[in-house]
Amino acid sequence: MITNLKKKALRNIFGEHLVYLGKKNKKICVVSCDLKSATKTSGFFKAFPKRSFEVGIAEANGLGVATGLALKGFVPIISSFGAFITGKFLEIRTSISYNNVPVKIIGTHGGFIGKDGATQSGTQDLSLMSSLPNFDVFQPCSPIETIKILNYIIKSGKPSYVRICRNEVGEVYNKNFKFIPGIHKELIKSKFNTIISSGPLIFNCIEATKILRKKKIQAGVINVNSLKPFNFKSMERLLKNKKNVLVVEDHVSHGGLSSLIYETIAKSKLNKINVKSLNLDEKFSESGTPSDLEKANGFDPKSIAKIFYEKFKLAK
Amino acid sequence: MSKKNKLNQFYLNSNKIRLYIIEMLFRAQSGHSGPSLSIVEILNYLFFQKKIYKNFNNRHNFVLSKGHAVPALYSVLFNLNLISKKSFESYREIGSKLQGHPDRTKLKYIELGTGALGQGLSVSIGFALANSMLKKNRKSFCLIGDGEIQEGQIWEAAMYAGAHRINNLCVILDNNKMQNETYTKNTLDVMPLKKKWEAFNWKVLEIDGHSYLEIHSAFKKFYNEKKRPTIIIANTVKGKGISFMENSALWHSKVLNKKDYIKAKKELTK
Repeated sequence: MITNLKKKALRNIFGEHLVYLGKKNKKICVVSCDLKSATKTSGFFKAFPKRSFEVGIAEANGLGVATGLALKGFVPIISSFGAFITGKFLEIRTSISYNNVPVKIIGTHGGFIGKDGATQSGTQDLSLMSSLPNFDVFQPCSPIETIKILNYIIKSGKPSYVRICRNEVGEVYNKNFKFIPGIHKELIKSKFNTIISSGPLIFNCIEATKILRKKKIQAGVINVNSLKPFNFKSMERLLKNKKNVLVVEDHVSHGGLSSLIYETIAKSKLNKINVKSLNLDEKFSESGTPSDLEKANGFDPKSIAKIFYEKFKLAK
Repeated sequence: MSKKNKLNQFYLNSNKIRLYIIEMLFRAQSGHSGPSLSIVEILNYLFFQKKIYKNFNNRHNFVLSKGHAVPALYSVLFNLNLISKKSFESYREIGSKLQGHPDRTKLKYIELGTGALGQGLSVSIGFALANSMLKKNRKSFCLIGDGEIQEGQIWEAAMYAGAHRINNLCVILDNNKMQNETYTKNTLDVMPLKKKWEAFNWKVLEIDGHSYLEIHSAFKKFYNEKKRPTIIIANTVKGKGISFMENSALWHSKVLNKKDYIKAKKELTK
């Protein structure tokens, strides 16, 4: 595991890699809803103006335009804030999901985005999108994972939603990492205790395990980059023999990662596991710096560690 | 063929399509009769004169955005021998290719599954943009309803197509003046149609949507238009062709009983 690389924001990685992909694949086009610079598609617009479409502040139309482009063999990427674009649920449901059209939706600004506050923060996007037939739903945590997921969706021929957060993060993989949808990865192995998360919060969880180690509590970390498909057997194998599992998600638990973990346990014979969930149920985010928001909601490494040893009564 | 014969054939064909619609709806004991009957001449023209699907792999694109009127489209396809009698008779039955609302995953001639109103025009814009990028001299047609334009997405799309002067896009607005419950003007008035679309920078044509000559001349004008998207406001009669269904909101989706069916058939075959 590499964790010492220079920190980068995943949306920047997305923007840079999109230009690279655009050079290789002339079918890729981009639809923007007046958020080119925030969602980092400006580079693509500059490099490939003829394959770039600015629809203005009109996400519903943008989704439809992308659908038409995809039906004619193009590979359209439409990017906006996750909260905004998944808000056009009926348009995604009918034009894209029901018609099974390979439109690639990139939802940025998930979780604790910072000072812009609740209306701009995607905290229900993953469960909305996971409910839709035909859709793949992914969330990368690191630069390499972002690149591998983008490579995958361009070729998948399926409608996809990718939640890309704006946090600056390090790396947990090397460049040989192979992305297989639905297969989960135990980044830090541990016998009995583990923390499961998705996206950049993984790094807070990794830090939390370091704090726990100082308290002589060994805990591992499992990264989920694919919420749909979700391989329950893969998760079952990782959770075998585990006693205490904390799920950490900057999202509502219903239909999100916590639901999937509870479902894994219900579907398997892993009935001796204690599961706790740290999530954003019944609340919206608010204004503040991302780190203040994480602290206030218990998502910073210290709080995650504390929740772990308190909830599972491991404090000595 | 002489002009008179051509006209005769067009109207005979329209009548045949109407008979198929009535047959389908009676058999299924459900479906939308009024909004299907109002678009018969337009579809008849597009599919028989313009031969949209003559070469399926190099076709013009057509989206029926008012998806509930799909019996009219199925009847046109049946008349073209593109769907079998068995499929035709299975409309709205479980496992059928002919779903209550169009489904592209089940029937290849459906280019877009629709049913939640207001979405087809945006997709037709995508088709038009793709046709331009592919340098294909292919047109993108979209049929929308007058009630449907109450949906906000229609105006997002109208604004985009007008601003970008998408000239290979043609919308036909089935102005039958009614919607699900009652008259459009009593629900949410959509008038003045012409001024609205002109303000969005569209070329606006207004025609009798049941007249071959007017439909023909409108599409000719669209083919010659180089600067703007075209909208043909087709003034139509909901339930056209069957006296007791004409201009009746009741017949938006009323079930045909045997008596009505026989009466309707008699009117269409006299």
